[in-house]
Parts: sequence; C-alpha cells; structure tokens
Amino acid sequence: MNNYYNYQNYLNQAAKKMNPPTDNMNSLKNEGIVNQNQMNMGQMNKKIYEPYEGFIKGSMFPELYKPYKIANPYEIKPMNEQAELLTYIDALGFAMIDLNLYLDLYPNDRNMIERYNQYRMQKEEFMKQYESKFGPLVTTSDALKNYPWAWDNRPWPWENK
Amino acid sequence: MFLYEKKLEYPINIRKKDLNMAKNLLAQYGGCDSELAASLRYLNQRYTMPDAKGMALLTDIGTEELAHVEMISTMIAQLMEGATIEELSKAGLNGHYTMHDRGLFPTDPNGVPFTTAYIETTGDWRADLESDMAAEQRARATYEHLMNETNDPDVLAPLAFLRQRENVHYARFKELRDYYMNKNQPNVD
Ligand SMILES: [Fe+2]
Repeated sequence: MNNYYNYQNYLNQAAKKMNPPTDNMNSLKNEGIVNQNQMNMGQMNKKIYEPYEGFIKGSMFPELYKPYKIANPYEIKPMNEQAELLTYIDALGFAMIDLNLYLDLYPNDRNMIERYNQYRMQKEEFMKQYESKFGPLVTTSDALKNYPWAWDNRPWPWENK
Repeated sequence: MFLYEKKLEYPINIRKKDLNMAKNLLAQYGGCDSELAASLRYLNQRYTMPDAKGMALLTDIGTEELAHVEMISTMIAQLMEGATIEELSKAGLNGHYTMHDRGLFPTDPNGVPFTTAYIETTGDWRADLESDMAAEQRARATYEHLMNETNDPDVLAPLAFLRQRENVHYARFKELRDYYMNKNQPNVD
C-alpha cells in the first residue's frame, strides 16, 4: 500500500496549502439550520473517503462500496512524472464526479458543497501544473497560447503509453 | 453542450494483446446493457424528468457513461493492437476484420450491431428510472462475468472500477425513484 500513502500525503499537503481547515459543522450550527427534510438537507457530516482512496475504489461513499472478488482495490502505478501528475487530477476529478451525483439529490448539504469546491480548486491547481509541462487537457487551457498549436500533442487518451 | 477533457476517467494501459477479451468487452461497447446504451438512455430520458433533481442526475450520469464508453473503447483498441489476421480469426473476429478491419464498431460479442431499441425511453419517470436501475444491475453482472474471464490486472483494474460505478449509479437512481414515490409525484404530466 506504499503508493496509496504517498498519494494521500501529497494531496493532503496540497489541500492544506490552498485551504486552511474549517470547522464545517460549527458554521452550519451557527447558522441555525434545522434538519427538516432529509432529501433536502442530505445526511449531515456524512463520511466520505479521501479522493485517492475513493478513486481506486470507484466510490467516494463507503456505504456504496461493494467490491467483487478483490480484497484490496488496485493501486494506480504511474510510470513517469506525467502519469503521476495525471493521477492527482484523476483522483480529484473523480471525487468531483461522485460528489456531483450526490449533490444533485441533496443540494442543501453545505458540508459536501464545501468539499466539492475544495477538490475543484485543488484540481485546477494540478491542471495548471500539468498543462504547463505536458500540454492542454481542455480547450480553455492557457497552454493553447503556445506556438505551434498544442491541442493535437500525443498521447491521446486511448494510446498505450 | 459537452466539453472534452483529454484524459480518461480512470487510466488504462494494457500491455498484453488478448483478442478473446477484446471480443468479450464488446458486450459493454455495443451490447444491450453497454455503456453506449446507458449514456444514450439517460441523456434521452432527462427531457421528461419531473423536476430539477431528475434532470440534473440523468444529465450527469449520462455524461459519466460517455466517459465509460471511452474507457471500454480504449480497452478494446489496446487489446487488439498489433493483431494479425490469423489471430483475429482464431478469436472469432474474422467477421469483424472483414467488415471493419481493426477499427472499432459497436456490436455485442456475437456480432449483433448496436440498436437504438436498447435506449428504452417511455417518458414516464417511474418506468424510466426503474428500467435504469435494472440496467445498472445488468451492467454490474456483465462486469462480473468479464472479470471472471481474465487474470490480467491491467484489464481487471478498470473493470473493477467500472463495475463499482454501476453500484453507485444504481443507488442514486433508486434514491431518486424513492423520492418521487414518497412525494406522490404523478407518473404523467
Ligand atoms: Fe452506470
């Protein structure tokens, strides 16, 4: 489980730099929000995995993780710096996808909205780092200022590295 | 509209050619319970969801399924890379070679071409969401069959990821269906 801890530490450190920890529960209590409708509020302070763990498990939500045949999830084993940087982007992007589906149904879960935005800002940071070194991931990237046009740089996602 | 991110949802790097597995994976590319069928099904059903929760959830799951189509196609392309005509023939892909060479084409493993009949839109939220829940379960079962057919960790890792996403999608569709049931949301407008 070596890789796992390395990724998690790296992500946690990046998170601390960008976002001083806040006490989400307190800010909710201070605003005096009453939990009347579970679907509207979501489950308060619901436990979720950290992005990398959720990513390799395929779910950010422990209660929905039901593996088949495997005792431990497969670790991501990047072969170079590019693939390693992409793993952080993948993990944070995955966390956003899974929280988005949850928030569609529980739009008043303020805690989860904060987590979503924390991951979003972290992902943007890693995207900038990645794109300055390896070219654009999206057509809105600053890396498209470069000459010649960088969008068609290989590898394309399906190419074997 | 859709914006493209030039990466996969989950990394795929298959080093070992395996034409039998490429053929089996067609189930999730062009079969009745495939990722392609799922993405089109949800993206079509979203127009008649009764409220914002349903419109959002079907848009977002439908979009994620498009990313899964890309993962499955990538797996098939990598498993077929460098295949000779003899190897394709031996795996029962001679018909595929004759018509499509090494190109990708959405059929199921038996060569039955993808059809829009798999999309299953009724315009009735209950019928649609319950069909979506069943579709997620069928896709989960198919992923388990696929995981039983290989020992290659390069193939098993993305399969395990995709299988788990079916569990999550199933749970979200069920929550939405139960929410509408509790609200006594009428089935039709
Ligand atoms: Fe799904």
